[in-house]
Amino acid sequence: MLEVIYALWRRDMVKFLRDRRSLVTSLVRPFLWLLAFGFGLRAAVRLPGAGNVDYVSFLVPGLAAMTVLFSSMFAAISIVWEREFGFLKELLVAPIPRGAIVTAKLCAGSATATVEAGLMLALSPLAGARFSPLGAIAALPLLALFGMSINALGIVVAARMKSFEGFGSVVNFVIQPIFFLSGALYQFDTAPRALRAVVLVNPMSYVVDAVRGLLIGRHSFPIVLDVAVALVAALAFGTFAVRAFNKMEV
Amino acid sequence: MNAAIEVEELAKKYGEVEAVRGIGFSVGAGEIFGFLGPNGAGKTTTIKILCTLLQPSSGRARLAGLDVATSPDAVRRRIGVIFQDPALDDRLTAEENLMLHAVAYRVPRAERAGRIADALRFVDLHDRGRDLTRTFSGGMKRRLEIARGLIHRPEILFLDEPTTGLDPQTRARTWEVLRALRRDFGTTLFLTTHYMDEAENCDRIAVIDHGKIVALDTPAALKQRVGKDLVTARSDDPAALARLLTEKYGITSTPVDGGLSFLVEGGDAFIVKLLTTDRPALGGISVRRPTLDDVFLSLTGRQIRDEGAEGQFARLRAIARRRG
Repeated sequence: MLEVIYALWRRDMVKFLRDRRSLVTSLVRPFLWLLAFGFGLRAAVRLPGAGNVDYVSFLVPGLAAMTVLFSSMFAAISIVWEREFGFLKELLVAPIPRGAIVTAKLCAGSATATVEAGLMLALSPLAGARFSPLGAIAALPLLALFGMSINALGIVVAARMKSFEGFGSVVNFVIQPIFFLSGALYQFDTAPRALRAVVLVNPMSYVVDAVRGLLIGRHSFPIVLDVAVALVAALAFGTFAVRAFNKMEV
Repeated sequence: MNAAIEVEELAKKYGEVEAVRGIGFSVGAGEIFGFLGPNGAGKTTTIKILCTLLQPSSGRARLAGLDVATSPDAVRRRIGVIFQDPALDDRLTAEENLMLHAVAYRVPRAERAGRIADALRFVDLHDRGRDLTRTFSGGMKRRLEIARGLIHRPEILFLDEPTTGLDPQTRARTWEVLRALRRDFGTTLFLTTHYMDEAENCDRIAVIDHGKIVALDTPAALKQRVGKDLVTARSDDPAALARLLTEKYGITSTPVDGGLSFLVEGGDAFIVKLLTTDRPALGGISVRRPTLDDVFLSLTGRQIRDEGAEGQFARLRAIARRRG
């Protein structure tokens, strides 16, 4: 069983590594954000409280989580792809439990996203970001966990979609509020009360909070709570994903 | 003979549409069994139910004694499926596709490499194992899928339209491979097709139309039901020949290019009779046995596909039916 999950995971990783171009393009988005927001707004944004943290460094944790959000969400399009081009049938008639197929997908979608976020973190000092390298390494497992829950959410959408366009539009509709209402771009503590209420129910907020805590030592919630929320979200969305996958017709 | 597949009163509804309407049949171990019918007759739905991709609305299907609805996992371990459209991962190499399959079907680790090499050799792809399958032609993909179907040595191999879209040489080669599979491994083959000549390769054929089995027999026996042969005669004076046929033998003929053709029982003997009577000069004469196209037409009143080379015979058949 573990061997099957590993073989399926490896399949997606092999394809990811063969496609160098998508790896490079995945780094463009966070760097554009970093340049536009970090440098463009650095002078305008004054973070209350600690004066020694500049806005570029403040943004990096949120943009690492954003990289995982986009990458792992769009990784789920492989389900639509494989249904369209037939490979999914090969998996579904094989004596593999559906849960194993979904688990392999979650691990692969999350691993590729985490690799991309790791690269982005490694390169961001070039853009002037300053943070704890050890903290960044410690943040990777948490980003991976976040990637699994987002990939699971993507699978829930993909299982219902018959076309690439349909998947793209629904996912964009879901992804934007998750990102903008997560505290990736601003501080939770100083946000207006109504916004804070929304941020509190968004699982991504806790991931951003923990990663920021690990990287630059600023966080609004206890890290234990952040990790607990990330775990519960991954389990819940993972369960939904298996259920959606089971119901899917080929 | 043990039954490899047993189907009783199997039905599948999609909303109001009944795709399969209470079919029953059984397939013996080691048999090559064909489902013949036009597109939309219920062939693919049946195969999907048998290979556990779809739940039946009612009825039962058992493979090697196992119910497909209640023990899908045990069924999946015993079957191989070759789908109508390629189901390969085209961004992996041929060997990677086969290795994934070997792991999924729990082929013992020590045997995997050997079985993959054997399977590739079996379908003549041993020199392309390291190539990405997206570079393969349609025929190569189909052969690779057949190779994949062999990796775990299934008891029953399902093939949905196995040679649709392949060129004649590849079709012939595919059938060589399939017959070798039965000979060497005793595999039961269940296939669907809308090609008549492909159905000829089967031991038995179920003719399916509108979700129901309208006939089930060997190809020879099915053709015998049609009875009559098609005779085509070339003549400079087809009108005189037609008159003779009508007046002396009561046969209705149809003009064709450079002559005419007609249906008659015992075509060979009739030709001899015709040659020895007083008749207009003949430029040539030929007899053709009924094909499965004719069988399908006589069973359903429709042709299995659009008129092609068989159109002439079909038109005649339709005329013959109208006249009783």
